[in-house]
Amino acid sequence: MAVNRWLATGNYFTTYKQEQRIFQTNLDRTVFIAFLMVVFTWPLFFEVSSKYMLVVDNILIAIIAVIGLNLLTGFAGLISIGHAAFVGVGAYTLASFSRVLGDSHVLITHAWPLMLLISGGVGAVVGAFVGLPALRLKHLYLAIATLSFQMIFLWIINFSTFFNQGQTIFIGRAYWITGKVARDDHYLFWYYAMLVIVVMCGFGVRNLMRTRYGRCLVAVRDNDRAADAMGMHPGLTKVYAFGLAGFFAGVAGALHAYLFRGVGFESFTLHQSITYLAMAIVGGLGTLTGSFFGPTAIYMLDLKVENVAEYAGSIFSETMNLATGLRPLTFGLVIVLFLMFEPRGIANWWRISRSYLKLWPFRF
Amino acid sequence: MSYFLQLVVSGIVVGSIYALSALGFVLIYKSSRVLNIAHGQLIATGAFITYALAVWAGIPIALAFFLSLIITFFIAMSVERVFLRRLIGEPIISVIMVTIGLMSILDGLIYLTPFGTLNFSFPEFLPTTPIRLGGVSISWTQLVGVIITTILIGGFSWFFRKSTLGISMRAVSDDQLASMSIGISIPRVFGLAWAAAGFSAAAAGTIIGNITGLNFETLQAFGITVFPVVILGGLDSIIGAVVAGIIMGLIQQFAAGYLDGHWGLHGTASLLPYIILLVILLFKPYGLFGIHEIERV
Repeated sequence: MAVNRWLATGNYFTTYKQEQRIFQTNLDRTVFIAFLMVVFTWPLFFEVSSKYMLVVDNILIAIIAVIGLNLLTGFAGLISIGHAAFVGVGAYTLASFSRVLGDSHVLITHAWPLMLLISGGVGAVVGAFVGLPALRLKHLYLAIATLSFQMIFLWIINFSTFFNQGQTIFIGRAYWITGKVARDDHYLFWYYAMLVIVVMCGFGVRNLMRTRYGRCLVAVRDNDRAADAMGMHPGLTKVYAFGLAGFFAGVAGALHAYLFRGVGFESFTLHQSITYLAMAIVGGLGTLTGSFFGPTAIYMLDLKVENVAEYAGSIFSETMNLATGLRPLTFGLVIVLFLMFEPRGIANWWRISRSYLKLWPFRF
Repeated sequence: MSYFLQLVVSGIVVGSIYALSALGFVLIYKSSRVLNIAHGQLIATGAFITYALAVWAGIPIALAFFLSLIITFFIAMSVERVFLRRLIGEPIISVIMVTIGLMSILDGLIYLTPFGTLNFSFPEFLPTTPIRLGGVSISWTQLVGVIITTILIGGFSWFFRKSTLGISMRAVSDDQLASMSIGISIPRVFGLAWAAAGFSAAAAGTIIGNITGLNFETLQAFGITVFPVVILGGLDSIIGAVVAGIIMGLIQQFAAGYLDGHWGLHGTASLLPYIILLVILLFKPYGLFGIHEIERV
């Protein structure tokens, strides 16, 4: 059947293979490639201050972490209130290399892609270990187990001398083919590095969800008894989901350590875990696009609130302490409002506007 | 020996406060199956209201305490009405996330007041010399705190056993459909459960504030420490909350008294509850007194 590969307005699939395509139409692919080109080239045309570049880098790190959390909470349906601790595991893997080998050892500065993979691997192992209670527990109890992992992780960091009792552990500057990355190029360099990693993660997850290893997560979330009857092991699938989430978190953590050139405990607190969860929910649980929208939206909001607080702080007296108050206030309001009025998150708006544009100018 | 007894006494004091904090948490979970992560913020709110009434408005402290209980009662009730009533029947993650959002909102509101960053302490209204009983000393604030806690827990148990409202709350926690069919208004019961939780949280907050001083971080931390307590006691058991609260208080005091400083260990009192929590979850997930209804994977 001759299907228009550029402007399909409906569902004309005749084979499963067609349905499983990453890009449904050629137009989708073109738009995506154009978007990638914009994302890769815009720093060349605009002069960005390092303050904003840092925010962009932070967003990219959060995207990687939230992709992992979305696999766990969105696709596999397991609530984790300890995701920042998994991110911390990645960061502290790098930190322990730095403690043992010295912060500018050749492994850390030159072989950073390898270090990212190692951190991801350690994150995956720790994630799977923390997920072990999933063999016996469900829902709420599992959420509380991850919460206790968060607390135990912080205790270990804060009270062991090996991890410098939570004080900053330095990580050396990374090297690229052209030599040591200069101070001015630091944020730009990591922007490109993280962009490549984010694109790889995105395609990785999209492809994962096309294979049985990804689809078993959704099957276990939707009905674990049916999944059991189909021959999947629900418990092991959940442990595997924790491992996957731990991997992404570990990579994000190592990137965080490289970007800030140091590791301290304050980036991996319970509050940060909640922020990741909020990002996943605002973006849209159980969608890949949501993992991109959520962190962007929350960081943009944070930036705006900071500006407002700065402005308002100059009007009111400083005893009001607006900056520390407004942040959690708006943050909480955003979570609650999204849950009440748009539980499917920004990804749902994206879906609606896409289907609207597809048929435009017709309504249906 | 007297060191041991001293630890037992302070363990019971801390434990009874845990019991009171956990009580409100259990009330909400028992009736509406909501895990209230914002409980620490309710505790802090209650404490701050008492302080504001007693010191800034100059009301006698006993009356201020009573008024604060009432005000927090209504605050918690309206929280349920505004945020949680819309989410009845939604997936569990939405409900948990709403309480997380609520925690953030309350955090923000408290940071807007002076209580967020500054430390306050209640004026002394009890004798400052501690009571000594054979080598063991207990301060008057601690003693009064324990007494009030005991009275409140007794009152709540009576309320659940004898009063019509309490019985209807127990009925809802047992079977929502059946209790609806005999004419119990479920939203009203949920609202009341939250209100009662706010009431007990305010009491707990004021007592903690009296013993340790008013510091937002400390008060709020009780909301998280409540988790190990309720898991140990069983998420839906009031007796469990009381017993587990006291056990947890004793464990913490013994850990601080005997483990810290030896073998290079520090701060074990804040770690042990969570390790116990994990062990309990693995081997006895319904806790000491909880109803055995956990679905295995």
